[in-house]
Amino acid sequence: MFYSTRSKLIASFLGVSLLVGGVSLFIGGQLLYKAVLSEATNRVRLDLNAASEIYQNRIENVKTALSITTLGLGFRSKLKRQDSQELFNRIRRVALHANLDFAGVTTSDDKLLCRIGANPLSHDAPQPVNPLASLALEGPGIVAGTMILSTEMLAAEDPELAYRARIRLLATPRAAPRAEKMETSGMALCAAIPVLEEGKILGIIYGGVLLNRSKDIVDTVRDTVFQQEIYKGHSIGTATIFQNDLRISTNVLTPDGKRAIGTRVSKEVKERVLDKGERWTDRAFVVSDWYITAYEPIEDIFGERVGMLYVGVLEATYADMRRKALTILVLITLAGMALAIGLGYVLAHKIMSPVHRLIRASQQVSEGNLSPEIGPQSKDEIGVLQNTFKDMLVSLEERDRHRRAEAENRLLQSEKQASIGRLAAGVAHEINNPLTGVLTFTRILLRSKDIGDKNLSHLQKIAESTVRVKNIVKGLLDFSRQTDLDREPTEINRLIRAVISAMENQALIKGVSIQFNSGEDLPMLTLDRNQLQSVLVNLIINALDAMEHGGNIMISTGISLSASDTGKKGVEIAVTDTGCGISPEDLDKLFEPFFTTKEVGKGTGLGLAVSYGIVQRHGGTVRVQSEVGRGSTFTIWLPVEEQSGKDEDIGS
Amino acid sequence: MRILVVDDEDIVLESCQAVFELEGFEALLVPSADKALGAMKNNDFDLLLIDVKMPKKDGMYLMRKIKEQWPDIPIIVMSGYYTTETIQEAIRMGAATFIAKPFEPDELIKIVRQVIEKEERHGKKESPRN
Repeated sequence: MFYSTRSKLIASFLGVSLLVGGVSLFIGGQLLYKAVLSEATNRVRLDLNAASEIYQNRIENVKTALSITTLGLGFRSKLKRQDSQELFNRIRRVALHANLDFAGVTTSDDKLLCRIGANPLSHDAPQPVNPLASLALEGPGIVAGTMILSTEMLAAEDPELAYRARIRLLATPRAAPRAEKMETSGMALCAAIPVLEEGKILGIIYGGVLLNRSKDIVDTVRDTVFQQEIYKGHSIGTATIFQNDLRISTNVLTPDGKRAIGTRVSKEVKERVLDKGERWTDRAFVVSDWYITAYEPIEDIFGERVGMLYVGVLEATYADMRRKALTILVLITLAGMALAIGLGYVLAHKIMSPVHRLIRASQQVSEGNLSPEIGPQSKDEIGVLQNTFKDMLVSLEERDRHRRAEAENRLLQSEKQASIGRLAAGVAHEINNPLTGVLTFTRILLRSKDIGDKNLSHLQKIAESTVRVKNIVKGLLDFSRQTDLDREPTEINRLIRAVISAMENQALIKGVSIQFNSGEDLPMLTLDRNQLQSVLVNLIINALDAMEHGGNIMISTGISLSASDTGKKGVEIAVTDTGCGISPEDLDKLFEPFFTTKEVGKGTGLGLAVSYGIVQRHGGTVRVQSEVGRGSTFTIWLPVEEQSGKDEDIGS
Repeated sequence: MRILVVDDEDIVLESCQAVFELEGFEALLVPSADKALGAMKNNDFDLLLIDVKMPKKDGMYLMRKIKEQWPDIPIIVMSGYYTTETIQEAIRMGAATFIAKPFEPDELIKIVRQVIEKEERHGKKESPRN
């Protein structure tokens, strides 16, 4: 069952679909995913650019807000007069509008005039001046950018800020080890603008935004860049601002759902981005999960790398995509396999049904039905097979018909022979008794001396005629007698040589030479030597009779396969003469009893019939080829008996 | 030399008698097996010439009977219709030889003499049965 063509076809279809499915799974799982990942990486890189833009914008905002403030006429006059209270009011308004965490004004000799912090100006002690303002004074010029402010400075600006900036370091997997337990300084976006009049610095206005724990920039990035794409309840995009390797402003969440402030970047990223100052775009471990990330270093006003900007997309969303794609591919493969089985089944049926019909047909043929139903003609190779099968049927039928005709012929022949045999027996019995009388008394009369020459000649004629009758009856009896074969293993060449030497004298008288071309390595035949000898003698006598004026008789032997019984091995004995030949109309009647072309009294017309019977009883055949005026060839074919058959024949 | 000839055909009997007479043999002719057995009881013969094919009781039957009572007497079997088997059976049953009908007078005499000579060579020690 499992070896049937149908299963083979289905198996090969399955194999193909499995291969295709496997390849597409591989491509889908590996190449496609890589392509998607690189696409995602590209996107994140662009997102980082956008985030960077937002970051720079914020700095620009601060700068712009402060710049606009300096342009007001009132502001300058107040600054010239160093009207702290008024200046305070003004910068507080600005800070409110521009969302500044701190702002202040210093004099041209680097003394603080006012600041907006919760720790307003007290005149008890000199206030520390923000280094930003000093920087702008030294510049001179506008200073804007990122800056690290110490906890003291922050406290000076506003104790609240110092408190906000304090961040406890949390243990983070894959982060580089760090000794501190707490970050106290803060990172700010800030700007300081000198207020000039006629080339002279009147003072400095400065202000800034503390990034620590701020949600402003990172959420803007998330909301504008990732447009609130949600995966499993969380935005897929995240953004972070690092101070050094510490997350100070982020919307990456810890496993318990809080913003991951206080966690740190992985060691690989730190080394690449912070230490070497390169960009990072690759997958990276962020807090507790894998993200497709982009990092770039943040440099402060002095060009020092003080932190990093990060955007990232949760890799799980892509893994999920891959899982979905793989699922679909698996489903497609399964569907392909189901289709393969179905298709294989249908195709196998389509291909195999004519073959099955042929198989059934050949079964019918083997049961004897030579015109089985083959079914409709196919147009493919099966069609060729069908045609060959039909041809085979035709030739089988022909052979069958031929064999039947032969068998009928044989039957007819043997019936004929049997009836002739019965007739001959009766005739012989009845004739031989009176013939005994005729022969006896004629001979007795011939012995007496006183009957006269004339009577003597008459009597001689009677005697001759009687001998002729005797011979005819004997021939009849020979023909009718189905005597059993007395077989013994015989060397056919030797037998033929014996016959030739017996016939040589007779041939010499007629001026005929007999040649023998003996075949080599002939197998032993089991024959009735006497009967076969008489067959050969008969053939040679016939040949001699056909040659009135001398000639040649050529006898040859050789191994030959049977012409009628396919493939059966045997020995052929050919007797060829150079005599008068046999006319085509006589050829058909040649083996019939009492058919003779010899002169009256010379032949009984039984010799060939008897010879034919003897050869037939040996399982052999006699063939004649003849051409009038050139001669005839009688070919006897005798089978080589198989070992088993030989035993049977000897036994019978 | 006394020969008993058994055949249902008169012409055969007469032919045999004519041939034997010429040769100086004494022939007794009988047409059937029963008559032959009767003749055997009353006469001594040197040889029997028996036809195989006779109506009612044939030559084979006769030969069997004769071989039962007179096993030493040589028998020649003759027939106009014969097969190898009939010849073989006759020989097996004790016939000295076989002669096919029609035969030439010389042929018959030659065979008879051969049989007698052979019989004399082999059976000289035993006196003919009375």
